[in-house]
Amino acid sequence: MLTIRDITKSFGANRALDDVSLVVAAGEIVAIVGENGAGKTTLMRIVAGELAPDSGTVTLNGSVAMVHQHFMLVNELTIAENLALALPPFGFATRRAVENVAEATIAESGIELGDVRRRVGELSVGEKSKLELIKAIARRPRLLVLDEPTSVLTPHESEELFRVIRALAAGGTAIIFISHKLPEVLAIAQRIIVMRGGRVVAESAANALDATKLADAMVARRATPAPPPARSIGDVVLQRDDLTVRAGEIVAIIGVAGNGQAELAESLRELPLARRAGFIPEDRTRDGLVAEMSIAENIALSESSWRPRDAVQRAARLIETYAIRAQSPAQAAGSLSGGNQQKVILARELDRKPLLLVAAEPTRGLDIESTRFVHDELRVAAAHGSAVLLITSDLDEAFALADTLHVIYRGRLSERLSPVEAAERAPALMAGVA
Amino acid sequence: MKRVVIALAAGAAAIIVVALAGVATGHRDLLLILLRGSLGSQFALEGTLLKAVPLLLTGLSVALAFRAGVWNIGGEGQFIAGALAAFIASPLGVVAALLAAMLAGALWASIASLMRLWRNAPEVLTTILLNFIAIHLLGWCVNGPLQEPSGQYPQSDVAIASLPSLGATELHLGVVLAVLAAIAAWFLLYRTAEGLRLRATGLNPHAARGAGINIRAQIVRAMALSGAMAGLGGGIELLGVTHRLFEGFASGYGYSGIAVALLAGLHPLATIISSTFFGALVTGAGELQRSANISAQVATLGQALVILALALFGRYRAHD
Repeated sequence: MLTIRDITKSFGANRALDDVSLVVAAGEIVAIVGENGAGKTTLMRIVAGELAPDSGTVTLNGSVAMVHQHFMLVNELTIAENLALALPPFGFATRRAVENVAEATIAESGIELGDVRRRVGELSVGEKSKLELIKAIARRPRLLVLDEPTSVLTPHESEELFRVIRALAAGGTAIIFISHKLPEVLAIAQRIIVMRGGRVVAESAANALDATKLADAMVARRATPAPPPARSIGDVVLQRDDLTVRAGEIVAIIGVAGNGQAELAESLRELPLARRAGFIPEDRTRDGLVAEMSIAENIALSESSWRPRDAVQRAARLIETYAIRAQSPAQAAGSLSGGNQQKVILARELDRKPLLLVAAEPTRGLDIESTRFVHDELRVAAAHGSAVLLITSDLDEAFALADTLHVIYRGRLSERLSPVEAAERAPALMAGVA
Repeated sequence: MKRVVIALAAGAAAIIVVALAGVATGHRDLLLILLRGSLGSQFALEGTLLKAVPLLLTGLSVALAFRAGVWNIGGEGQFIAGALAAFIASPLGVVAALLAAMLAGALWASIASLMRLWRNAPEVLTTILLNFIAIHLLGWCVNGPLQEPSGQYPQSDVAIASLPSLGATELHLGVVLAVLAAIAAWFLLYRTAEGLRLRATGLNPHAARGAGINIRAQIVRAMALSGAMAGLGGGIELLGVTHRLFEGFASGYGYSGIAVALLAGLHPLATIISSTFFGALVTGAGELQRSANISAQVATLGQALVILALALFGRYRAHD
């Protein structure tokens, strides 16, 4: 189906891919795992024909479709219209025809998406990623490449995705699946390829691996997790309706994406307290950093004064404290990797010692090392007395960090749940059946 | 560095095309006359600098607005509003007149930002429409309440205050004020928290908001600041050069400011150079009209060529 031989690709001085070879057979589900910057996405963009390799060959029998990590949708158009854009032309595009074709296409894909007349801008991220998947499947590719498809999906939606993937593979489509989430990689893939620093460092049948072995192969060195610092719970910092967050406490809001999490985070920005709060936005490329500005400028944005020399010194200190991989404080924030961008945001928001820290999907799309770093920092912030509100669709993350949880469903919060209670009741609450 | 090269190349390309147009129409010495008329004598040099002053201020106006992501195309109207206010306030002295000019420019621009805040009306449209209103307001003034007592021409009396001359030249203090304004704009943009926020708002309003910046207030302030610069330009032109109001007073300075700012890469200090370049072009074109009977519109041609070159090769290309 797909044969890649000796691919090398550099961006400037940075060698993104170093002599990579790979074979994928029809009907096979192959997962590619690796840290941020391991070269996974670059390799797949070469397969999809979006990038040309410096050397090496790609042989592909048949068509390829790629679902990108970032949405490629027109927000102003409806689901049906977005699908029509991706499909071959079909006679007169009356609204009725467009909607009928969209409904048929969605039904055929086996994915549920509801009313096709809704504007894409109004959809949740989970629904948008389903639409991207339907678009890709509708082209009936012989090879389907999925780049981090589950990073915004709930467990239930991920299950739905896996069902679709298995059905496609059974029909002879080759699937390449890029992910950070090791348990799901082990669950879905037949073969797992581990990349590190632009090279394939391990390759194995999925049933010969477990999560620990996989993590070992992905991460060069294995840092021992820092013991969580002892925390004492203090006064109430945030009190609104059913939601109470105390100093030193980590409260997690879990739920299916699109159930009011964004609105909740947004409404907290309007509080008088917001002046002394730190925010880690869900969409960090849009809401987190000014890509064209330097790290120093981005860090100084929330300050009341701006002296270039002081800002550079402060940024240099934070780059060191937060182990941000940057050449200098003057480097443009947009040129950093995703994990390092998130560290810059963390550094800026935490360095002010906020009373309240609101972290929305703080580790989405980050690799293991960066995720661990972010988690440690959230714990440290709580230990230093910040009230931490974690809004996440990653249940592992919520259970790893939270003292108390709420489930959000259709904009409403459940009662306070202890981790034990939440483990039992969350699935039903998230599905709205409790 | 690359930006500087592109800007220089755009300027050079415009000159070369203008020269080639001259050759094609039998005016082989067009470039020479252009140079002589703009830089070749003290008189020519003074003319160039006098033309550069209003261009520098409208250029700064555009640069400040565009940096904040506010598309103020209303320099022309704000320039006129500034001149009108300066004329009316001139009995109070030159300082009061210039302050009135800045205030009027800021207020005129703020009409557009209010409409943006109230109904989200795009300032690209409202500022242009406000230009027409200002032009006709000026026309009414110089045909009515502000017309000279003799009532002979559609123009005002001579303003009571004026800017002092610089020594024994045609130049006036406005030249110095305009350069100071450029330095102040640079300081604001790159050495103050306000400037940092203004630039962040222009580059990524979402992230600016995420960092706790009130972007609505930022837009209002940027627009007012931009209008104040253009208004100051109008006040200085009145008190330093024309001394009277008349129809066609702004004569396109507001729009030319866009070319000036773009050629300068929206950098306030570079705007000093680009406004001098365009000032030279306009002054040289005047000499062409006088001695070679070539329309002074050739300056407009040069300006258009610069914008075209930047649109094709500069950083203002649309993102795909």
